[in-house]
Amino acid sequence: MVFSSLLFIFIFLPAVLFLYYCAPKRIKNLVLFLTSLVFYAWGEPVYIVIMLLSTVTDYSFGLLLSHSRLNPAQRKWIVVCSVIVNLSLLSYFKYADFLINNVNGLLGTHIPLTELALPIGISFYTFQSMSYIIDVYRGTAKAQRNWIDFGTFVALFPQLVAGPIVQYNTLAEQLRKRSVNIELFAEGIRRFIIGLAKKVLLANNIGMLWHTVSSSDLGTMPVMTAWLGIIAFAFQIYFDFSGYSDMAIGLGLMFGFRFNENFNKPYIAQSITDFWRRWHISLSSWFRDYVYIPLGGNRRGLGIQLRNILVVWLLTGLWHGANWNFILWGLYFGIILMIEKWWALKLLQRSPRWIRHTYAIVLILIGWVIFAFDKLPQVQGYLKAMFGLNGVPLWNDNTLYFAYTNVILIIVLVIASMPIKKVDTLVSRSTIWNLAWCAILFVLSVAYLVDASFNPFLYFRF
Amino acid sequence: MKQKTDRILVGGFVAVLFLMSLTFFLLPVKRFSELENRYLQGVPHLTWDNVISKRYAEEAEGFVKDHFPLRADWVWVKSGVEQLRLQQENNGIYKGKDGYLFEKFAEPNASKLLQYTDAINKFAGSHPEANMTFMLAPTSIGLYPERLPWKAPYYSEAKVNGTVGESVRNNNLTFINGFDFLQPHASEDIYYRTDHHWTTRGAYYAYVAYCNKVGWKPLSEKEFHIQNVSHSFLGSYHTRSQFSGLTPDTIQSYIPNKPSHSEMYIADTEQTLTSLYDQSYLGKKDQYSYFLGGVHALMTIKSKLEPKNIDKDKLLVIKDSYAHSFIPFLTQHVSEIHIIDIRYYNGSIKEYMAANGIKDVLMLFNTGTFVENDEILKISN
Repeated sequence: MVFSSLLFIFIFLPAVLFLYYCAPKRIKNLVLFLTSLVFYAWGEPVYIVIMLLSTVTDYSFGLLLSHSRLNPAQRKWIVVCSVIVNLSLLSYFKYADFLINNVNGLLGTHIPLTELALPIGISFYTFQSMSYIIDVYRGTAKAQRNWIDFGTFVALFPQLVAGPIVQYNTLAEQLRKRSVNIELFAEGIRRFIIGLAKKVLLANNIGMLWHTVSSSDLGTMPVMTAWLGIIAFAFQIYFDFSGYSDMAIGLGLMFGFRFNENFNKPYIAQSITDFWRRWHISLSSWFRDYVYIPLGGNRRGLGIQLRNILVVWLLTGLWHGANWNFILWGLYFGIILMIEKWWALKLLQRSPRWIRHTYAIVLILIGWVIFAFDKLPQVQGYLKAMFGLNGVPLWNDNTLYFAYTNVILIIVLVIASMPIKKVDTLVSRSTIWNLAWCAILFVLSVAYLVDASFNPFLYFRF
Repeated sequence: MKQKTDRILVGGFVAVLFLMSLTFFLLPVKRFSELENRYLQGVPHLTWDNVISKRYAEEAEGFVKDHFPLRADWVWVKSGVEQLRLQQENNGIYKGKDGYLFEKFAEPNASKLLQYTDAINKFAGSHPEANMTFMLAPTSIGLYPERLPWKAPYYSEAKVNGTVGESVRNNNLTFINGFDFLQPHASEDIYYRTDHHWTTRGAYYAYVAYCNKVGWKPLSEKEFHIQNVSHSFLGSYHTRSQFSGLTPDTIQSYIPNKPSHSEMYIADTEQTLTSLYDQSYLGKKDQYSYFLGGVHALMTIKSKLEPKNIDKDKLLVIKDSYAHSFIPFLTQHVSEIHIIDIRYYNGSIKEYMAANGIKDVLMLFNTGTFVENDEILKISN
């Protein structure tokens, strides 16, 4: 089930709210745990077993770790075991076929593919459970003895399928004790509606432009169409993902949870380093806290630091998907970040603001080209179109049509990507105007959702 | 103040959620949507197998979507917002000039198109004894590209029809390009503005062109009593796009001054009707089904004609719905018309022709559906 569906908004959510607020305090987590299982089972009635397996394993490892009579070596072994279990599950479902394909291609073997579908959210919940075990090992969190509370942490439906990736130590306290009041609940509703509108009104609509552009012939694509297309994709992925995070944060608030922010206006970044502090923050901080810093971070000399950056970005790329383009995408940013650390940041600091911004945006957009196409020749073809190597005019009639039929949407997208206080408070501050805005955004979002399901069957067509 | 607005927001939001969810359980379950012209998702069945196979989830989602209150009004809101933001299309329909709506037409897949024309050639080749005509009619976007929104992308149907005309080659096969007989009359109302069909007048020009090609004498327009049977036709383009502020189309019927008595047998339902027109559809959404009562896999129309007026005893028409307003004209010339809708007819056309002693065939399709329907491949089975 996705948040931006009529079924979720008008059936699942009211049902969960009803159960949660009718339940006595001590079983509220149980209600959340069970309804989260229903939420997950809705999309993955079979793979829910995998999620439960991962949960039970880490719960048990956590209990083991809390045993006081263990020596450090034994504790280390427990953590290693847990990480191996989690990564094996993730690798088997996510990377096995990619590996087999490459081995087959390289050695000419015919190892059959597993052809397993990727269980929804597996990349998110395995990372969350790992964070728990590592936090307990490091002593930054206490082992959770209550299996319902632990299950709730892993399965909590607002962030189960697409994050934010919640680190255990930020949620441990809230699992035990949290309170909701009208103010917080209203904040949650506003956040949910903003997220819904971002996804349904902005991301989906600009996504159609990207869909049209990316499915047309790359060999004859004019420069301006290519740029318009990738800008559309950049907006689509940002508003899609941050909209989803907003909805998750909003839903969390409705049940008294405060998740950390996942995005912070990434497209105003002044460098790639800056961009990655603003984009998918929960993932970057996960890699920072559980990979980069344990590897030595930046405290063991520039050489080690550059190596660490490369490792983290290789993994980041791979995390996004089992495909060469994602690996390339990760390396692309890894290398840029290395160069920035080494000397480029110093140079950038001396340049005017607009140069810094243009530099960052162009590199981000090229990154999105690598991200968007899963076949490398397409990446190449699209980049060729962007940089005018096709030998066609700068624009054509289609470019004009795409531009004027989307110009208003793009203006809205640009405004919504910028840190303009007035715009942000329009929907987030509690006033009568804000009420009206929330109502309008909600009604419009529902209208677009209903339209997407509107499916006249024209059987008399043929 | 802040407290108060927060309360209103929470109360309002929760109330809307609960009221809406109640409507799904309380409102009666509709089976058929007149507007969308399809059966709606029924109440999902909660069984173990259905849950495991995700079928329950799919059905429940379908149910909520299909039974969402005031569906058309929500779509209307969306369509209005899209126009405000200068979007010129909604759900694949362009809002053109002069009240015309157009369906997008992109460059067809060349290899697919070749398969379709090959199927037609193969079909003609395997019936050397039969006379075959293939008429390919453009849709409105083909004739009126200048009425599209500014700079809107489209692919030329004239080009497609030209290609098809060159690829269907056989001694016993004649190709009629719809552009040849419609282009001279482009300034007349030969297409509905809100629907994907040609008007009865468009169909009349097709009839004249067909008669001329096969050597019959067509009736002149004066020999018909032309009636406006509906002024409230909002067709399939309107249904899909839900653009507002459109003028409904008029549906005309051409009744010959000297009508002949025709009987229409619908094999699908084993019904025999005495009229070629079904008045009841004029009160519904799908008004084009007024002609021949809509789509059927197989029909036969027998007409009592004076022997001197009979140009052919038997004719097989293999068609899409463009034929529905066209076929009534033929009943003035042919005493027995067999009509097969290739999408729904699954028998062998070869066997059907042999069993019914058919020597003359007309294939009538519009360009829009011809280039994207694999069903056409069944023709050579």
